[in-house]
Amino acid sequence: MSETVTVDQVDVPEIRPIVRFSALLVEDNLADSELVLRELRRGGFEVTCDVVQTADEFRQKLQSTTPDVVLADYNLGSWRGMEALEILRSAGLDIPLILVSGAVGDVTAVECIKQGATDYVLKDSLTRLPASVRRALEEKQVRKERRQAEADLAKKAAELARSNRDLEQFAYVASHDLQEPLRMVAAYTQLLAERYSDQLDENARKYIQYTLEGALRMQTLVQDLLTFSRVGRNRTRTHLASDAAVREALKNLQAALQESGAVVHHGGLPAVGADRMQLVQLFQNLIGNAIKFRGEKAPVITVRAETSESEWVFSVSDNGIGIAAEHLEAVFVIFQRLHTRTEYPGNGVGLAICKKIVEQHGGRIWVESKAGEGASFKFTLPASFADGEMDHTQ
Amino acid sequence: MKEPPDILLVDDNPADVGLTREVLAASTHHSNIHNVPDGEEAIAFLRRRGKYTEAARPDLVMLDLNMPRKGGQAVLAEVKTDPGLRTIPIVVFTTSHADKDITHSYELGANCYVSKPGNLGDYFSAVQSIEEFWFGFTSLPH
Repeated sequence: MSETVTVDQVDVPEIRPIVRFSALLVEDNLADSELVLRELRRGGFEVTCDVVQTADEFRQKLQSTTPDVVLADYNLGSWRGMEALEILRSAGLDIPLILVSGAVGDVTAVECIKQGATDYVLKDSLTRLPASVRRALEEKQVRKERRQAEADLAKKAAELARSNRDLEQFAYVASHDLQEPLRMVAAYTQLLAERYSDQLDENARKYIQYTLEGALRMQTLVQDLLTFSRVGRNRTRTHLASDAAVREALKNLQAALQESGAVVHHGGLPAVGADRMQLVQLFQNLIGNAIKFRGEKAPVITVRAETSESEWVFSVSDNGIGIAAEHLEAVFVIFQRLHTRTEYPGNGVGLAICKKIVEQHGGRIWVESKAGEGASFKFTLPASFADGEMDHTQ
Repeated sequence: MKEPPDILLVDDNPADVGLTREVLAASTHHSNIHNVPDGEEAIAFLRRRGKYTEAARPDLVMLDLNMPRKGGQAVLAEVKTDPGLRTIPIVVFTTSHADKDITHSYELGANCYVSKPGNLGDYFSAVQSIEEFWFGFTSLPH
């Protein structure tokens, strides 16, 4: 016998718990049906069983019952047991089919199993039928659980994707629609301050000033929220040189670089699969922060990348004021700030945007730092990038 | 002396209309400002229908996008496919910065697209620049 059909007969029925299942026998020989049933009962099973002979009967029976296992003779006169397998498949039923038959030869047996029969048991070695059925039932249970798990996972993923989309849409619409009334408040408060300030007393002028400051700050918050919610919209991923992205970021930061006297070291950075605008934004925010949170000395900033397994680990390191250990995670949360606006301006959106960009590219971002000892922002990007084209505009 | 230009402001927000009027009233072009609050009235004005039979043909339309009933893009589509009206320059002047609004407006034939600045000073200079560009520098069809 071939190895596929040989099952160890050591399986001892007595120690197995009684298992109840329903079988559908496809058999044209009544005496053989009896033998099969007897063997299964002896193997410790409590079997409920229907017997059918023709393909039509088989189809009809499947309309009214769903057996746990189908036991089919190979040769049924007018048709063959393997056709029963076809019928099960076209009905979309995952029911194991075990062929129970007289000698047909190894080649046929192997072929049947290749085509999807769960097992092939010879009628003159029926003692191994219980073990075969038990295995078939167990495998079916595993398949069922796996299908269920996969379906649950797919459902959760779809729900998550939808809720993310909704949230993004909400943030976008909200910030978009907030802009207009805000613009009114800011504009008319400004107009009031400009046109009527000589008719107002000191207090009124102060109130107007506060109103205006609030409105203007809210405008930048809304703008930042809009920028944040836009990350991930209209992404086009290309294979691009990260050195070029750093250069572009530095160009955008020119004023800050000159004013601070910052020195930025970079070079030999790898090509990655990323959205060009977003990669520039990522470097720009990180380098911009390194300049902004500088200490007494002129900023020295180093951008590096090294491979680690299947990803690149980038780092943007500086000699600035650093971050205390307890704040290392908070810095990536939107609108989280560690300083007053008079110390360092900003809304606490830059690093949240960085986090979103990195995560959208399948990477992670974190920071290593101690207060007063500079900070090193690190992020990963997958090294492999299959789909997409080389960006030749570099 | 040149006749003062007619500008049709299509905008449902009286606060914005107020700001724009402020700027235009102070300028040397002495533009006549006409305001309609939505797209349907804009089309009626341009086609001289209903209460607008005596309306002047505007030299410039400043068009908001987000308006009740008929929005700015529907107005653009209608005007820019009408041989009698398509030569009137349309400046989209709106709160939206969205790429899709910008692209779609140009696709529909907008002559330019200006996002309303949030800051009063910037808002004033945007309106001044629009007026100065269209009535100080460009040659318009008669």
